[in-house]
Amino acid sequence: MIAPATPSNTPDAAGRMGGLSTGSHLLVQAGEYVCALPLVSVRRVVRALPVHPLPGSAPELEGLAEFGGEPLPVLNLARMVNAAPGANPAYPVTVVVWAGPAEAREIMGLSVDAALEVAEVPPASVVGGGGGFLLGEAPVAGRVVRVINLEALGRES
Amino acid sequence: MVEPDVAVRVSDPGIPVIPGLPDWASRHADNALAGWLMVVALTVVGSLLLYLGGGPAWTRLVFLGIGVAGIAAYGVWVYPFFRNLERKLPQNMERWTQLETRLIASFEQLGAGDLVRAGEHTAKLPARLSKVSAAASGSLSSLAQQIQDSSIEVASAADAVNQVASDLASGSSEQAASVVEITAAMEELARTASQIAESATTQADLASRAEASGESGSEAVFEAVAGVEEVQKRISAIANRADTLGTRSKEIYRVLELINEIAQETHILSLNAAIEAVAAGAEGRRFSVVAEEVRHLAQRSQESVESVRNLLDEFSGSIRATIVATEEGSKEAARVLERSRAAASAIDELRQASGDTSRVARQISMATQQQNAASDEVVMTLREVSLVVQRMTGGLKNLSGTADRLNSLGLTIQLLAQSFHLDSPRSLKHMVEDWGKELERAATSTELEDTLDRLVQQTPFIELGYFADTTGYLVALCYNRALTGNRPLLSLVQAREIDMTQRPWYRTVSRERRAALTQPYESLQHTGHVFTVAAPVYGRDRTFKGVLGVDINVGGWTRI
Repeated sequence: MIAPATPSNTPDAAGRMGGLSTGSHLLVQAGEYVCALPLVSVRRVVRALPVHPLPGSAPELEGLAEFGGEPLPVLNLARMVNAAPGANPAYPVTVVVWAGPAEAREIMGLSVDAALEVAEVPPASVVGGGGGFLLGEAPVAGRVVRVINLEALGRES
Repeated sequence: MVEPDVAVRVSDPGIPVIPGLPDWASRHADNALAGWLMVVALTVVGSLLLYLGGGPAWTRLVFLGIGVAGIAAYGVWVYPFFRNLERKLPQNMERWTQLETRLIASFEQLGAGDLVRAGEHTAKLPARLSKVSAAASGSLSSLAQQIQDSSIEVASAADAVNQVASDLASGSSEQAASVVEITAAMEELARTASQIAESATTQADLASRAEASGESGSEAVFEAVAGVEEVQKRISAIANRADTLGTRSKEIYRVLELINEIAQETHILSLNAAIEAVAAGAEGRRFSVVAEEVRHLAQRSQESVESVRNLLDEFSGSIRATIVATEEGSKEAARVLERSRAAASAIDELRQASGDTSRVARQISMATQQQNAASDEVVMTLREVSLVVQRMTGGLKNLSGTADRLNSLGLTIQLLAQSFHLDSPRSLKHMVEDWGKELERAATSTELEDTLDRLVQQTPFIELGYFADTTGYLVALCYNRALTGNRPLLSLVQAREIDMTQRPWYRTVSRERRAALTQPYESLQHTGHVFTVAAPVYGRDRTFKGVLGVDINVGGWTRI
């Protein structure tokens, strides 16, 4: 199991974490959508890990992979945001993230089609959403991205 | 020839020296005259001897005795004989006159050609003279009949010769026409042969030139084949090089893929660096900038790789197009090569065929020239044959004319022979007189006409029979329907318009009251020629009733 979140991942008073503002997000391609993952919750980006499916599991759970010598549950982000599947990705990646509330967060893998870039998503720009896993949508560089609330992932899953 | 039954013997001792005297008178007359002449001669000789006086006395006595004996003999034999002769002389003269009259009448009948009536007259002559005359008449009659038969045979032979000559002339004419046609055909054949020879010579020249052209063409095609083979080799080399380029392009693709993977890894690495920078807090701010630059670098690398990939795609497309083009070019070159080889083979065959054609054409030319020469000889021969045939045709026509003349001569001889009235069924005069005797028994004109019609129908060579009375009135007219057929002929009523008294046969018979024969003349019935045999007809009281005539067509007289 991955170790719990370190204090360095906690935002400062200005809302910054590690020199970057809390608005920094990792933009990933999930099906037809571009999703924004809060960068403070992202542990690692690796090439798509080999996944061992779990029989009888939920459709969003692709299976278990091995990361750092530990089993890592891998979720399909596109299915979680109900995105239509896109073309076969050229370089699919697995994004290792901290999920769940801060006091009980767990490391998990998100299977996405591609890791695009790091971008700023001001919280004020986030609109819509219900405050759950899908926090809302925000315009980034002329396109609409879906902002993911990884803290809510543990509760909903 | 038939020899006469009785030869005329002038020196026959049975014939009296003086016609009309009995035999004994003739014999005595001989003795008396001989004795008297002997006495006269002796007397004259003795008297001369006595007168000269040169002889002995006994000689005077001898000659005196002879003279006395002669006088006595004269008194005994000569004088009575001549007295008797003088007494019988008037009777003998009358008998002699009668004999002379009968002989004259007989000779007159003979002169008229009527041997029958001449025979009637000679029958009344003394037996031996009658026999001799009958023998002469028989010989003449036999001769006339033989002449008749011979004339018929001559005419028949002439007809046959004429027919054969006509057939041969017709055949010769056709042969001459055929020869002319054959000659024209041979001349045309000769001309055609000349044209063929010229054409064959021209053909041989053309074929020779074609053969030479074929050799040049064959060499050119062989060169073209070599050129195409070289082009095919070069195209194959281009294809190999293009294939090598394609292989190289795949290697470039693999390198680009590797570069792309490296860029992607770099991209991921830059993202992880950014993540680590966030985790590092404020200390990681510069590191995040570096990470961002690295990410940008990775992104540019990806973009460059994409550009190179696009260029490489275009290059690969060109390479593939080049390969396809070279493959098509190679195939086309192969086809061209195959066609060129086929063309070379065809040209070679054509060249050989041209050579064969040239040789055959020269042979044809020589053969046609020989044929032309042979045709000229045949034409010359045919012209000679044509001349011979024409001469033969002319000769046959002359022969036909000669046969016609011979036939006419036969008819003339027949008419001359028929001018004799013979006691023979072949004698026309005799036949017509017999018909006249049958007509004498007819009581009415109808019976006469029926009898005449029966006689005409029974006689195959009689074309027409008719009877005219003493006034020239035509009583009966009968046609032989087997000869006349359906030709339009004069009816009895139409024929009565002709004045029969002016007809030569009628006038002759009326005048001479004997059978007559005319020369051939143009028929009143048709355009042919006939001759008429006519004879008098008498009544039961031997009065002259009219003239019976029959017409015989000269075309059928040989059936007599």
